[in-house]
Amino acid sequence: MTGLSAKNIVLQRGGATLLADLSLSFPPAGSVAIVGPNGAGKSMLMKVLAGIEAPTAGQVLLGGRPVPELSAGARARAIGYLPQHFEPHWDLSVLDLVRLGVERAGDAVAGVLDRSIEQYELTALRQRRWSTLSGGERGRVLLAMVLATNPPVLLADEPSASLDIRHRLDAVRTLAHYGRDRLSIVVMHDLDLAFRLFERVVVMERGHVAADGSARDLIDTPALDAVFGVRFERVVLGDGRILHAGL
Amino acid sequence: MKPWLVLLSCLVAGFAVAACAGHDWATPAELVRAAAGDDTMRSRLLLEWRLPRVIASAFVGALLGLGGAVFQGVFRNPLAEPYLLGSAGGAGLGAAIALLVPLGGLPQSVMLPLLAFAGAWGATASVVLISRVAGAVDAAGLLLAGVAVAAVLAALRSFLMLALSDDTVNLQVVLSWVLGGVQTPTWAGLGVLALISAACFGLALTLARGLDVLGLGETMAKSFGLDVRTFVALAVLAGSVVVAAAVAYGGLVAFVGLAAPHVARWLVGPLHRPLLPASALVGALVVTLADAIARSALPPAEIPLGLITAIAGGPFFIFLLARRLRA
Repeated sequence: MTGLSAKNIVLQRGGATLLADLSLSFPPAGSVAIVGPNGAGKSMLMKVLAGIEAPTAGQVLLGGRPVPELSAGARARAIGYLPQHFEPHWDLSVLDLVRLGVERAGDAVAGVLDRSIEQYELTALRQRRWSTLSGGERGRVLLAMVLATNPPVLLADEPSASLDIRHRLDAVRTLAHYGRDRLSIVVMHDLDLAFRLFERVVVMERGHVAADGSARDLIDTPALDAVFGVRFERVVLGDGRILHAGL
Repeated sequence: MKPWLVLLSCLVAGFAVAACAGHDWATPAELVRAAAGDDTMRSRLLLEWRLPRVIASAFVGALLGLGGAVFQGVFRNPLAEPYLLGSAGGAGLGAAIALLVPLGGLPQSVMLPLLAFAGAWGATASVVLISRVAGAVDAAGLLLAGVAVAAVLAALRSFLMLALSDDTVNLQVVLSWVLGGVQTPTWAGLGVLALISAACFGLALTLARGLDVLGLGETMAKSFGLDVRTFVALAVLAGSVVVAAAVAYGGLVAFVGLAAPHVARWLVGPLHRPLLPASALVGALVVTLADAIARSALPPAEIPLGLITAIAGGPFFIFLLARRLRA
């Protein structure tokens, strides 16, 4: 079981405190949306959880073990990280990019590469270069690279921000469904999708957790209005509710 | 398969032309006779002088192409060049000391490659140290530190050349080495160069996957399990070893390390596993042909190899720069 937890995380860079004594615990499976206004520290939290940024104080535990104690390879196999922006320096083909993602597992099982290419509908694009792909195609390539090895933990830093509505829905659904049998933590700007598709929502504000709970319960909390500085209307739609920002 | 066939065919053809080229051009039949053991003076000259020189040029070019591909990969910048990091400048200073300063002990043929290696290592270590002290261990920080160190090393080399050249030291020898040029080795010396080249090739190949992952960006590379800081430092040092070997045997030959990886990338794509050997092959072809021109263009004089590569490589660099700026 690969639960993830952050204990008393402090992150300071250039004299500024980006994460302030933040503690969170995630079970081995579940979908979690991290929301919050710009500058709340969401992206930095993702990087700290992924072991990409070392915290100034506190520690991140994966399956009970501190992440820095894991070898780089073990960490790469256990945690899949989808960055907010991804632009490879060299104009690699789709096949090369997905292969690099598959190979990070070290002992890649034969057939994983072909299966990933097929799963993310990239068969016709195998030989295409990154520079020739559309935004939606790039999103699928990135998902294939990171999810090819089925890491037990997925950390996604709002990877759908630049996609059109259809591709954004596809991507967010994929990320949320990933949490059915593994842990999927996704930074979301779209509150509507966050509350509709994810089981749990963590609201961040200025480097700390302002609210944390199930999406169903948290949608009513006034903390949301306070954190975003907006008065939300809770609109009943079907068997659930959606947030509508009042003007 | 096709690009490799094209590359190897071009190299064989280039090698044949270079073996024929010289003050006095040889025919393919004369080359075959020399290789078969013909005992005439002409055949012996071809076998003992021209062929080792051509093969040595190919090795020097391969090392320059390899070093360039490593540096461009590590800095994720197609305009990065071994010379920018100070490694070539350090090797140049070390070699100038070997040529100008009477050190005693070991013969110059041994001292020169040794001091070139030491200079390249020292310069690269200085660059890495300076960038760390300045807190800028990223690619831009290393490149800027490299430019500064290279400038200081070039000034020191010029000072040594002015201060220590006297009646006993032939300044022209040093100058011609600084301007680049492959010396004719013995067959035994060529064996040593072949071993060094093979070791450098093996060393560079171990970096291939790391360079590919690094090309995804530092954040992605870290998430893919690459210890970016350690890898960059090791790759820079490994690239310096390759460049030092090239400088020790070929002097300061500009632009091959820049151009060869570009041509190789057009042929085999940007993935480093094929790119590294392809860059070595393109570098070998370029220097073999450039050396042939150096030996045959203005008989009986020999044009410094570095001048030919600079004349051809300068416009290529400007073309790349213009294309990049437009993009």
